[in-house]
Amino acid sequence: MAHRWGMVVDLDKCTGCEACVTACHAENNIPTAGAVEAGRGRAMHWLRVERYWEGDFPDVKVKFKPVMCQHCDNAPCEAVCPTYASHQTDEGLNAQVYNRCIGTRYCANACSYNVRFFNFFNPQWEKPLHLQLNPDVSVREVGVMEKCTFCVQRIKSGKTAAKADGRELQDGDIQPACVQSCPAGAIIFGDLNDPESRAARLTHSPRGTKLLEDEGTEPKVTYLQRQSWNEPDTQ
Amino acid sequence: MTPMDRRRFFKITAITGTTAALASCGNPENQIVRFIPDDELTPGVAVWKPSVCPLCAAGCGVTARVMDGDAEVFRNGQPGVTRMGLVRKLEGDPAHPISQGRLCARGQAAVQVTYHPDRLVAPQRRSGDRGSSQFTEISWDEALNLLVERLDATAAAPAQLAFLSRPRRGRRHELVAEFLRRFGAPAPVSFEIFDDAVLRRANELSFGRHQLPTFDLTRTNYLLNFGADLLGTWNSPLAHSVAYGAMRHGRGGSKPKVVQVEPRMSQTGASADEWLAVRPGTEGALALGLAHVVMKAGLRPADGGGRAGVQVEGWSAGLPAFTPEAVEKETGVSAARIERLAREFASYGPAVAVIGGAPLAQTNGLAQALAVNALNALVGSVGVEGGVSFMPQGPSPVATVRTLRDVLAAAPPQVLLLDDANPVFAAPAAWKVRDWLRQVPFIASFGSFIDETSALADLILPDHSFLESWVESAPESGAATAVVTVAGPAMRPLYDTRSMPDVLLDAGRRLKTPLAPALPWQTFEEMLQAPVAEPPPGAAPPARSADASAPTAWQAPQLDGSAGEYPFQFMPYPSQALFDGSLAHLPWLQELPDPLTTAMWSSWVELNVKTAETLGIADGDVVEVASAHGSLRAPVVISPGIGPDAAAMPVGQGHETFTRYASGRGANPLAILAPVAEPSTGQLAWAATRVKITKISGADGSLILFAGATRERPEHARGRG
Repeated sequence: MAHRWGMVVDLDKCTGCEACVTACHAENNIPTAGAVEAGRGRAMHWLRVERYWEGDFPDVKVKFKPVMCQHCDNAPCEAVCPTYASHQTDEGLNAQVYNRCIGTRYCANACSYNVRFFNFFNPQWEKPLHLQLNPDVSVREVGVMEKCTFCVQRIKSGKTAAKADGRELQDGDIQPACVQSCPAGAIIFGDLNDPESRAARLTHSPRGTKLLEDEGTEPKVTYLQRQSWNEPDTQ
Repeated sequence: MTPMDRRRFFKITAITGTTAALASCGNPENQIVRFIPDDELTPGVAVWKPSVCPLCAAGCGVTARVMDGDAEVFRNGQPGVTRMGLVRKLEGDPAHPISQGRLCARGQAAVQVTYHPDRLVAPQRRSGDRGSSQFTEISWDEALNLLVERLDATAAAPAQLAFLSRPRRGRRHELVAEFLRRFGAPAPVSFEIFDDAVLRRANELSFGRHQLPTFDLTRTNYLLNFGADLLGTWNSPLAHSVAYGAMRHGRGGSKPKVVQVEPRMSQTGASADEWLAVRPGTEGALALGLAHVVMKAGLRPADGGGRAGVQVEGWSAGLPAFTPEAVEKETGVSAARIERLAREFASYGPAVAVIGGAPLAQTNGLAQALAVNALNALVGSVGVEGGVSFMPQGPSPVATVRTLRDVLAAAPPQVLLLDDANPVFAAPAAWKVRDWLRQVPFIASFGSFIDETSALADLILPDHSFLESWVESAPESGAATAVVTVAGPAMRPLYDTRSMPDVLLDAGRRLKTPLAPALPWQTFEEMLQAPVAEPPPGAAPPARSADASAPTAWQAPQLDGSAGEYPFQFMPYPSQALFDGSLAHLPWLQELPDPLTTAMWSSWVELNVKTAETLGIADGDVVEVASAHGSLRAPVVISPGIGPDAAAMPVGQGHETFTRYASGRGANPLAILAPVAEPSTGQLAWAATRVKITKISGADGSLILFAGATRERPEHARGRG
């Protein structure tokens, strides 16, 4: 059976530390916009940590929520793309073909999650910062939309490595950069078609919700809600 | 004479070839010649090499992904291009007991230290006025001659040599200390604004250990945290975060509880189950209030506090002054809540109390730490599973250094060597560090960048980046066992830089009056290869033994500035991205959205919602923050996570000179702090300054937020920021 990649984010563990954000930049050659362009709303973070304040001082709470492309089964970005640059792969990834993208930005407008980023400029790394680039990931040019790929390069190399070793792909063999870096282990990635994978099992957790589920986008990222502390039974 | 093999022959020819090309050819493209590669890498295949993250004291083990690539290098005084193994990414080392395969945002950005466009590529000699940042590139021979000449001139009065660095542990610091000792110079001077010297002193009194504590969070059932940003920036944040993740699994049906007590909500506070706002500087009073309830209710006897209890005045009598009602008045936490928390803390063990950061940076920091230590001892959480313990340690260089504050009070030395310290930025302007440095006749820095302090240097001897040299760490906390990490270079140096310990060893050999006795190592690598003595086992803290010193009485914090003129307590805090400002030069971290505000590339002042309303301030408006010692301007972020009589500000921005990414950006809250010290250690009480806030103007665009800005905003529609 084909793989169907999905992710689970355990909000009970997320500390909002943003290790995933830097990991994503380092892995995926995401350009740094700089202060001026960031001020114009052009900073690119395929993965961001949202925070929600609840209550007023001093009875106040914060909830963190890392948000990346939700790799929807019914993705609004795919239907609007005139060139099929945004499309669903056989393994359930919402992929962006940079060569096909003509920069209409329809997809970014259609996306419910604000996770698509447009290259307003040719990306630049002031020398020798270009030496940090990951050779496994192409650099996107001006006029092209980009977004979280679930680190498709790591999926590919994971499959290749398993094949070279003559074995089946194991759960946990493939870890996107955010998953690997997360200090608290809040992000879990895996094959939703493998009922034994951690991600598949956690997808069915009673704490599980999806972002903007009622829009019918059918995301492949599940969020496990925070649990409040309850006084233990002390007999 | 080394035998000439084929590869070496080609290398030399290639370099001489460059000189010929430079002389004969005007076209710059032809002036670049490829050095012969000497890395044995398969093109396109990554190898992983171990290293150690140098960015904070946690000492996390990392692995570096090395692949081949073309690099523009500067070696032997000449530019060139070479194909070499290059570090492409850093990950946590799965086998390392502290990082455990994970890596924080700052650690991942550490690769940009090596590839920074403004890194110094060769030794520099000052060519302009002091502080003008005008330097001329010189050769290592010339640089070493200059250094040795100065050291020789000081040999007659060796006390005139000073070495300033951060209070870190490890062999690098041992080497420095040994060099100074054999030269006849006094012990190294250390400065780190957010160092918890107060906690070391308190632990020495309470537990007989002059050391930062380690918490067994994975097995803790109840974590009561007084102000430490455990998961963000404090002590060993990565190890704490890994443990926090394990903690959140829940065990046997009961989930551990995290309670955070602090005046301004930190990233750690945001991750807690319960958050308590407390008046700044009264955290210790709350701890004593909890202890009072525990003892009064007979949940634990007073002598359970042991030696740590003896350090607190009034402890053996059950702390009669700290009734919940009295503590409510002092801290602002309700008496009923104090009762409940005390019972929870004593009932759901193993429980552990933590104190760190701002509560220690008060004039009563020591009393605060002693109170929390005694609370831990009272519930029996010292040296047990799920409690607080101390990593086994060798002799501590931290204990034998001099503080910068003491040194500033004395006459400036003749020669000052600087390594990884930037006090001109990170100390309050009232310390007048710059004026003091201007009186030092000769300053040499080992820095890789020109910052506010090295701009005053006469000579810069740039160190390798950590990825290019032998590195090691010997953190004082973060794991249950002693951890010493040593790693070789992950890549060859890009530039004409030299490892600081090697330069020191080299200088030692060139001195007219040799070091007595001479240092036993030729290179730092050789020193690292030498066996390390196994540290004594983590001695169980002595229990119930009285200490000779008199118990410390609780005192209210003393703040600088009158409440009438300066109504707000000013709370600088280490920024999640930029830490103490030493990471402000890394573009990834500049553009990293702050966890609680999403601000990037900015400074900001956090004000309570009602305070902002009263002062007529809207989000993004620019205010002046003034203490009795200086003022600054920054935009406001209105926050529900801070009290109405406080103002908080992240540390990190406000550099005058620190590479293209940090220079001239934002404001530095450390500059306006009052020069108030915690008396027992002399550590700056950086949370003890009062300020006033005045609105200057509406939003000026200097506050850059990521939230709500994920679509392009044309120039005319720019709102706040």
